[in-house]
Amino acid sequence: MTTITNNTIAEAIYLALRDKTHHEQEDIIHRIIDFLSRRRLLSKASLIISQLEKIINKAEGKLSVRVHSAIKLEEKTKISLLHSLKHRYSVKEITLEEVLNQKLLGGVKLEINDEVIDLTLKNRMNKLQEHLIK
Amino acid sequence: MSNNTIVENLKREIENFKIQNKAEKIGKVLELFDGIAKVSGLSDIKSSEMVTFSNAKGEQCVGVALNLEEDAVGVIILGDFSKIKEGDEVRATGKILEISVGDSILGRVVNAIGVPMDGKGALKATNAYPIEKVAPGVVTRLSVDQPVATGIKVIDAIIPVGRGQRELIIGDRQTGKTALAIDTILNQKGQNMICVYVSIGQKDSKLRKIEARLEKGGAMAYTIIVSAGASEPASLSYIAPYTGVSIAEYFMDQGKDVLIIYDDLSKHAVAYREISLLLRRPPGREAYPGDVFYLHSRLLERACRRNEKYGGGSITAFPIIETQAGDISAYIPTNVISITDGQIFLETDLFYKGIRPAVNVGSSVSRVGSNAQIKAMKKVAGTLKLDLAQFRELEAFAQFGSDLDDATKRQLERGKRSVEILKQLQYAPIKLQHQVVTMYALTKGYMDDVPIEKIKAFEAGLTEYSENNAKTFYKEIMESKMWTEKGEAELKKVIENYKSSFVK
Repeated sequence: MTTITNNTIAEAIYLALRDKTHHEQEDIIHRIIDFLSRRRLLSKASLIISQLEKIINKAEGKLSVRVHSAIKLEEKTKISLLHSLKHRYSVKEITLEEVLNQKLLGGVKLEINDEVIDLTLKNRMNKLQEHLIK
Repeated sequence: MSNNTIVENLKREIENFKIQNKAEKIGKVLELFDGIAKVSGLSDIKSSEMVTFSNAKGEQCVGVALNLEEDAVGVIILGDFSKIKEGDEVRATGKILEISVGDSILGRVVNAIGVPMDGKGALKATNAYPIEKVAPGVVTRLSVDQPVATGIKVIDAIIPVGRGQRELIIGDRQTGKTALAIDTILNQKGQNMICVYVSIGQKDSKLRKIEARLEKGGAMAYTIIVSAGASEPASLSYIAPYTGVSIAEYFMDQGKDVLIIYDDLSKHAVAYREISLLLRRPPGREAYPGDVFYLHSRLLERACRRNEKYGGGSITAFPIIETQAGDISAYIPTNVISITDGQIFLETDLFYKGIRPAVNVGSSVSRVGSNAQIKAMKKVAGTLKLDLAQFRELEAFAQFGSDLDDATKRQLERGKRSVEILKQLQYAPIKLQHQVVTMYALTKGYMDDVPIEKIKAFEAGLTEYSENNAKTFYKEIMESKMWTEKGEAELKKVIENYKSSFVK
């Protein structure tokens, strides 16, 4: 028995909605909701939507990055950050979601899907502590 | 050390400290139940890779990724999972689970991940060994030809075990399976053997008793106990045997001979079944997963004897299987019987008849051990198995008829004495040379006219008397593993002398 994962549902929704007129899409969305309620999957709707977002982003060469920092980033920093991220992940467009967190002390922490690049001062302090204790 | 130097040292450390910034894969705990966690993310994790859980308080816990699914990873948690919460961070380490080993592990009691639990302080680890490893290949191996002296007459004489062999000990509950294993460990003193006892799902009280017994017999000096108790999660029972064999491999890599006991693999299979069902793997026969055979075969394949070119050393394995009401055709017993190089069968009926160790000689076999038996023992015990089989047959038949011919009567009497000789007390291993003398006296008919109730006394007396008087014979056995005509003549005389004084 194969189980239907959220990912497969999201992919099916994406394929069904792609290249359709607004009118057709509305009709399809009704049927999707109908399908989800019939299969008792409505509780997973938020997970499916986030998966769908990832699929659309991937197809359109977009990437959403969450940036944690202690203080608000300057425009100049943001631009250089966007530039290097675009290069690293070879995507066309990047949306930055900024999160302010005073506890990080300084630097930035980037979350790209399940990858984390921690360049914060707090992380460095922790690493130094580990090193010195060892 | 003055304050200044401490400060200087710290300063230097901090100056030289370089941080490597790299992207880490971090997952989040989605679900958590019965020692299993479903983790999101961790997209490029390997199977059996070690992961670390860290909660908001900074407490850490180790896990192993077992199920790699499309959008989640199934992880078994090794340790206390009550501190982990939904949403906690999970980091992949990029390493297969490892344990710390070193020579100082000898004499210690460690848990399933190799951490000491005997309160004698931390280990001085020198190496890290992965718990899963591919077994040594064909070119590195050597056939079994060195004996393991178990000190148990019935095993050494009839079902001999060689170094590098895998011999199953199988039987119902309370038939003396563990006792057999512990006796074997006790007898390894001075035999150049390191022992590993892996206790899987046993009561802590039983483990304590075993440890005390080994300590008393001076066996802890060359023994390591790996324990996954009954109160610990199934994940620890599942990895304990692999930890045990990794410790054994550490010593084998130094060219040493190692004896490992898995007590017992039925509980190991049950623990694995529990994990598999929780991970939603499809159940098969008796609800065990499809790879339960591989579970045991990959473990027992790691027992081997390596040739000199590849470092020598050996691992002899004694897996134990507990049967239910003597049913050896259940799933796990048949699997392990087919994997091992022979089995020692213990029976409840024999146990209650007073035949202890309760070994059923008819259905016990050793497929490779006879090559390892010393020549002298082979000579004296060669016909014993056949004699005993014939005796069993005649015994049943003799109950009906009263008139028996002399030959049959002789055979019956010899059989009764053989059974009596093969009985042995617990914790009383017998040296190989003493066994040879006893078997010699038995098979050459010197005991045929000794009353059965006096056989034990006769044996004990003979052992002592011969050791003092048949020195040439003993020397020959110790040095060349076989007697010469001179030694044999001496032993014959000694036995006759002893017998005449014993009968009087």
